[in-house]
Amino acid sequence: MNLLEITGLSKRFGGFRALSGIDLTVRQGAVHGIIGPNGSGKSTLFNMISGVYPPEPGSRIVFDGTDITGRPSHEIARLGVARTFQMLRIFEGMSVIENMMVGHHGLTGYSPLSAVFGVKSVRHEERRVRGEMMELLAFIGLADYAEMPAGEMSGGQRRLLALGRAMAARPKLLMLDEPGAGLSPPNVDILLDTVRALQKRFGLTVIIIEHILKLVMDTCETVTVLEHGEKIAEGTPAEISADHRVIEAYLGREMLDEEVRSFLRAP
Amino acid sequence: MAVVTAPTDADWRSRIHPVLPWLGGIAVLSLLPLVTRTAYDQYLLNIIAINVLLAVGLNIVKGFAGQVTVGHVAVMAIGAYASAVFSVHLGLPFWLALPAAMAVCAAVGLLVGIPALRLEGAYLALATLGLAESVRIVISGTDWLGAAMGFEGIPPPQIGGFVMETHLRYFFVVMPIAVMGIYISFAILRSDMGRAFKAIREDQLAAAASGVHVAKFKLIAFVLSALYAGCAGSLKAHMAPGYLNPNDYSLQEMVTLLLMVIFGGIGHIWGAVIGAIAVTIINDLTQDYYTYRMAIFGGVIVLTVMYMPRGIGGMVEDWLVRRRFAALRAATKARQATP
Repeated sequence: MNLLEITGLSKRFGGFRALSGIDLTVRQGAVHGIIGPNGSGKSTLFNMISGVYPPEPGSRIVFDGTDITGRPSHEIARLGVARTFQMLRIFEGMSVIENMMVGHHGLTGYSPLSAVFGVKSVRHEERRVRGEMMELLAFIGLADYAEMPAGEMSGGQRRLLALGRAMAARPKLLMLDEPGAGLSPPNVDILLDTVRALQKRFGLTVIIIEHILKLVMDTCETVTVLEHGEKIAEGTPAEISADHRVIEAYLGREMLDEEVRSFLRAP
Repeated sequence: MAVVTAPTDADWRSRIHPVLPWLGGIAVLSLLPLVTRTAYDQYLLNIIAINVLLAVGLNIVKGFAGQVTVGHVAVMAIGAYASAVFSVHLGLPFWLALPAAMAVCAAVGLLVGIPALRLEGAYLALATLGLAESVRIVISGTDWLGAAMGFEGIPPPQIGGFVMETHLRYFFVVMPIAVMGIYISFAILRSDMGRAFKAIREDQLAAAASGVHVAKFKLIAFVLSALYAGCAGSLKAHMAPGYLNPNDYSLQEMVTLLLMVIFGGIGHIWGAVIGAIAVTIINDLTQDYYTYRMAIFGGVIVLTVMYMPRGIGGMVEDWLVRRRFAALRAATKARQATP
């Protein structure tokens, strides 16, 4: 069964075609990688799925049987699409647990008015949310930092928190925008282990945009390659690393195939 | 290693109703007039209470939702004049004029909030500045609002035959309302909605991706703060001598109000309260030097923003955080040093 079906997705910024007629299908429970050189439209694709940009006519995005084309961001999030950002965008002025609780906003059910009257159910709900978020924090290894301002955390911890905040919404689809950027190799492994553990435990479908090819090759079952806003290849990691067009897109024509393959496989 | 945990169910605090401590606070503050020597001191207490309401309200939209507005004083003016018109021209008692004026202000807050859906930062400030000045000018030129001469003869509140025309009696109207205002602000901002406000302040894109309806909560923040401003305005209108002057709602007043919130610490409720108290008292003590006052206030804002950008509240929080997480941070550092 397909969780996400995209057909004919196009986006133009002024005269620049960021995406032209992308078709993409993501199977339920899959880990799907998206790679491509800078400016190939990877992040734009995420922004279109999560409703940051309005789509162009002819585009169609169906998530879990619901047409979400042109829906606002917060509605798409509430349907079960969570994402992280390349620049993380964690709420630095809030504590770690508050970051998580904002992530859970769509599932927190009480009216502000009942909070004013100090109704008992509100306190129960707050305790439930806090408890569940503490569990999730423990799962990603940040429980000790719950009350710390998020802005005080290290780079690796911020990446974990961004992941945790996305997970706080209990999504069906998790979209990770360059989760490994700027991380040292051991930290990349920690992050990957966390993603895999989360995926298993919550039955997630994951889409990963990544520059670290090893990360994509090791983790994903299917990889889609974008260049200049077009899909140039799709297949298993093995097929992709043998594809001439991919090698050209990444490294140009001049390099020898052998060199390229060894580069792609390098840790 | 220090382990920080969330408060548990066994916490004694969870067993008492959250409103109780605030009722206690009202009881304690009721003793305050005992230490006042003159009616002027009591007048000052009332002004402080009104300014606390204003500052706490401004803090919701500015400190929590992060929307820069300098139109707050105009909303207060609308609340004050609406309440005056309701009681003088329509004959409503104070107890009906107050909520009616607040309702008018809520509508105004909604209108002020609409540009905030498109504008950010300095541009939003400019848009609200336009509103602030035009309200004052319109009032100054409208005869049935007393024009530049001011609006006179606004009746004080009364219960049966008991008329609250003295500052002492009026204190027992404004003080409980101000305390309630602080409580409501706490209740809202510690709730899911408060977190949504803060998320919008921190990062709108990420807030929306977390399921927060950004536009809705921005408008709610504006409406809430307008309700506070309307309440403060109405309370000012009915306070003896029951007189309003459009010049009390000028840009100068807005600067003073901003100083309260900035000095107290943007985004800290107690900071706004302390800022309101401190600035009102300083404002009163420096009345004789009023020509220099704005220069001093402006200077203090600049210095606060440069050297203490998060105000008193921010400093206290930094200190608490540093104390609380010193051990945790040292442990993290040690772990990073020995991989």
